[in-house]
Amino acid sequence: MHALSHFLGVFGSVMFLTAFIMPVVSDGADVSYEKDVRPLLAKYCVACHSGNEPSARLDFSIIKSQQDANASFETWGRVVELLKSGEMPPEDEKRPSNVDIEKMESWYRSRFIDNVEPRPADFRPRRLSAYEYRNTLRSLLGFDLEVNIIEAEQTIAEKSLVMKLLPLDPPGKSGFRNDTSGNPLTTVIWDQYSYLIDAGLEAFFSPGHQTELEVYSGPISESGLSNEQANRLLRSFMTRAYRRPVETFELDRLMIHIEGASSTEELIKRLKTELKVVLMSPEFLYRGLLMRGNPGQQPVDQFELAERLSYFIWGDMPDAELMRKASLGELSKPEIYRSEIVRLLDDPKSRNLTEDFAVQWFSLDEIDHVSDNVPYAVALKSQPLDFVKYLFAADRPLLELIDSDVAYFNTLTSRFYPQDRKQLAKYRKPKGIEVEIVPNQQIRLQDTSERGGLLTMPGVLAMNKGPVLRGVWMLERLLGEPLPDPPPDVGQIPKNRNGQTLTFRERFELHRSKPACAVCHDKIDPLGFSLERYDKSGAFVAKSGEAIDTSGQLPSGEKFSTYQELKEILVTSQRDQIVRNIVQKTMSYALCRKLEYYDRPSVDKIVNELNRSDGTYRDLIRLVAESLPFRETIIKGESE
Amino acid sequence: MNWRIPRRTFLRGVGAMLPLPFLNLMENEGGAANIEKAPVRFMTLFKPNGVHPPSWNINGGKENDFRMSPLMRPFASHKQDLLILDNMGDFGFSSHANSTRRFLSGHHKNTKSASMDQLIADQIGQETVHRSLELTTEGLFPNQIGCSYISYDTNGDPIPRESDPQLVFDRLFRNPLQHPAKRKEMVSLLDRVGEDAKKLQRKAGVEDRLILDEYLSVVRDAEQRLENLKSTSSESPELTKFMRPDGLSNLNEQVDAMLDIIALAFWTDSTRCVTYMLGNSNSRMIFDFLGIKEQHHYLSHFFRNFSRDNIEALLKISEWHMEKFNYLLTKLKSYKDQNGTLLENSVVLFGSGMGHSDNHTATRIPMILAGQGGGMLKTGRYVRYSQNQQIGKLHLSLLQKFGVEKAAYAQNSTALAGLDSSDYEAFQEPSFESWVKSDGQSITVQGRLRMSDDLDEAKLFFVDVEDQRSVRIDVSFGDFHHFNLAYHCGTPITLTGTGKQTGSQYVITKLTELNSLFGKKPGTQNG
Repeated sequence: MHALSHFLGVFGSVMFLTAFIMPVVSDGADVSYEKDVRPLLAKYCVACHSGNEPSARLDFSIIKSQQDANASFETWGRVVELLKSGEMPPEDEKRPSNVDIEKMESWYRSRFIDNVEPRPADFRPRRLSAYEYRNTLRSLLGFDLEVNIIEAEQTIAEKSLVMKLLPLDPPGKSGFRNDTSGNPLTTVIWDQYSYLIDAGLEAFFSPGHQTELEVYSGPISESGLSNEQANRLLRSFMTRAYRRPVETFELDRLMIHIEGASSTEELIKRLKTELKVVLMSPEFLYRGLLMRGNPGQQPVDQFELAERLSYFIWGDMPDAELMRKASLGELSKPEIYRSEIVRLLDDPKSRNLTEDFAVQWFSLDEIDHVSDNVPYAVALKSQPLDFVKYLFAADRPLLELIDSDVAYFNTLTSRFYPQDRKQLAKYRKPKGIEVEIVPNQQIRLQDTSERGGLLTMPGVLAMNKGPVLRGVWMLERLLGEPLPDPPPDVGQIPKNRNGQTLTFRERFELHRSKPACAVCHDKIDPLGFSLERYDKSGAFVAKSGEAIDTSGQLPSGEKFSTYQELKEILVTSQRDQIVRNIVQKTMSYALCRKLEYYDRPSVDKIVNELNRSDGTYRDLIRLVAESLPFRETIIKGESE
Repeated sequence: MNWRIPRRTFLRGVGAMLPLPFLNLMENEGGAANIEKAPVRFMTLFKPNGVHPPSWNINGGKENDFRMSPLMRPFASHKQDLLILDNMGDFGFSSHANSTRRFLSGHHKNTKSASMDQLIADQIGQETVHRSLELTTEGLFPNQIGCSYISYDTNGDPIPRESDPQLVFDRLFRNPLQHPAKRKEMVSLLDRVGEDAKKLQRKAGVEDRLILDEYLSVVRDAEQRLENLKSTSSESPELTKFMRPDGLSNLNEQVDAMLDIIALAFWTDSTRCVTYMLGNSNSRMIFDFLGIKEQHHYLSHFFRNFSRDNIEALLKISEWHMEKFNYLLTKLKSYKDQNGTLLENSVVLFGSGMGHSDNHTATRIPMILAGQGGGMLKTGRYVRYSQNQQIGKLHLSLLQKFGVEKAAYAQNSTALAGLDSSDYEAFQEPSFESWVKSDGQSITVQGRLRMSDDLDEAKLFFVDVEDQRSVRIDVSFGDFHHFNLAYHCGTPITLTGTGKQTGSQYVITKLTELNSLFGKKPGTQNG
């Protein structure tokens, strides 16, 4: 169930923590890891947290310097939190004094919160993800490479040849697939690229795609492609494929190979060979290999910035307009840069933010497995998709993600909205069609208080069956709280013995009352059980035989008795943590990497700005795109 | 003048781009004296959603003297190459998923072993580059996943299918590792991009260099692999020169292209075993290119969803399936292979997993064998067995003919007789009396039950009575299904029900009892 736990929120736990931290006197700058913190860890923690199987997979013995500590920066907030609450060290172990704990805390605050110097990450080229590759190839060729397969209702078929043939990227350390840093090129992928390019170029030069070819060559007459047109085609294609201007001598080197072709047929054959060289080259397959700069920190160049922006918002290469602005150097003008962000967001291609980013963020592909009935599964999944698209398109405030009276449903999902389904326009199934996929209608909920927002969408509830999965999902995806894997020997929840009449929740709470379990379950369970009125299918159970206990208490001390009350807490006192998580996830996706400790100030800045202005989803995208780590980089010098 | 061109020489030349009929001029090199025995190929073509039995069944007729049914007309010209089997199937009803499993696995409960095509592929597919091809036209149907597969591996697990003729074509004829020209292209490409990457590397920063190292190591691996191949693989014919299918805009073009490729694959001996599904067994496809707007599955339930338009649309679709079978046979005949045509050296199994498409009867399942299999089969015949024959018996027989050593398959230990010149127990109906009587309350009739031939009343049944007007059976779907009228079709029965008499015309509108005169009772299990 913790398969998602690689998806670590970064600074999340701090916020629960700050709710009960007393102000500390020392500013911590004078506390040193090597001299102060490490000896404390050695004395109280290393006995368990080291060796072949360190507790909670956390080995303090290998964290030897401040630099090591920086690398595992996500750990420390949680360490301080557990020390302060007394949950660690365990009861029968030696405990550090309050002074020692304060020392740890001030070190933590100083190094990871208060005095962090913001900086961008080191520059690193990155291979296109399968999804980006598909989109980029489509933009370049002007058409999709499709699989010949008949689509019928209730069946599933992969229509994209790229997605069918390329292995699906595993999520990187950031939790997102566009973080391909840990996913190297292999010969298997190479063969598939080669095949795809052959198939793509064959189609590109076929009569059916002449219009797309002419985009590069200019209008082709009856007599076929001329040498001059071939030349123009190759030059413009290479420039677009590399997503930046190419040196003339580089272009000329390519041209040599198409010179002197004896016939049009021969010319086209050679062109295909040259285009394949372009499309199999590292400059096309990787982003950033042609970025120019000198060692040290600096803004990325205009073309790199254009690329970052378009892959962030579109999951696709820059279009001609963005390239034009980049070549004029206009992206360094704040107002022009900002208007480009708006233009990209207004383009239909910005559906990427929903279909790639949000789908991964909220693990919405899990809904595919909720039902084998395809139109129904599609209907369930389309609800969060349409809703998130709406948040971006209508530029809604961030917290409407979980608190909104806008819902999307169709005839297959309307039963979840009994009081508002009458708003749905009459649907008449066409004759001879048994079930079909019907678009959602936007409905403003009036009488369905149990729905509204992502958390109460039937598909989202159904993909996380049971309170623990729901709680973990909320913690990781919404609140950005990292959770370690559960211990391996948790066992089953015992059934009621003779005479016992405990509810599932009561038995579960007995089962996980051990301190080792409680550390996490105190956070997970109140969230998860708050949704107990929604059954496995996501349906709302208004009445039931057994009393349903949806009450709970957050680690912050706040109490609630229903999900509605919890939601009220989430959008008020937990608001800051949710906004912070939204910013972190967005930034991590935009940067195609896991966030580091030095990203904290950039995140803080955006969080503050969004809080100050009751920011919206478009504000969020803009602020991330304008942030320092997005616009700048550090190029490592030879000596480093 | 000698028109015969050695096949290998021809394939190496540009000639392979010639239109296909010219390829018939080819003969195996070496001449008649030392002709090796032609390999025998096995192919199945699966038809989704059963049939409308009155249009499919041959009623009456003898083994060597019969008339093809209306639905068989599209491939009637191949009559002499066909072995039409009748009375194949089981006694119960069949779900779509079960009927799909039955088609090549012999029985719906035979879920832990390989389907017969795979056993045959194990036997005959070892010498070809591709052991077998498993093909289809449409996506998966997850709600009843069994509807999407006819081929199963040793564990009885479904084998992934491919639908795209271009992908199959490329796999067969354009594999860069198999063909010198493609290999040469790849070597040169690797050279070029490798050079480019090295050039970049010289200018690159630390991180870039790591990435380029990764890229270059893949390029080197790819080069190494080609280098290894050069020393081991022999020169193979220039298959790359076949024309790749293009512009496949609908199902018809997709299927034609795939059938072309299958024939080519057989002819070039790239594979000897192919299964091809014209659709999932409960296909929801819409045949818009035939001007039809309703889903195939909806139409196939022609009793429940009865209208004249619907049944006509259904028959149009079935006819299209038959045309594709015809296309395949014609194609296989057009290729010369050693001494005969490809079809003479192939066994083609065409059919479905169920009979009546509305109530899913598992009796009289459409099953036709085509081609002589190099002498395995005696064609030009209509073989109607005396008793219902499980499909597994047919499979056991075919397996043995292909040299697979199996004593039993799908719970059957007797192979089906009659595929060659062996004796079999032919269907023979004892004589019976027919009559109708009414006691004022109920009507009882004895005679042969048949479905109406008139498409305007396709859901009506008749019981034929000698010297009288046939008794009309016009009942609800409930009665039709409960008494399994479809099962008894074509056979003598005694039937009791209520209705009315107008002049000499009896009409029964409600059934109370139905008994078969000679046959078994239909099963009720869902099989």
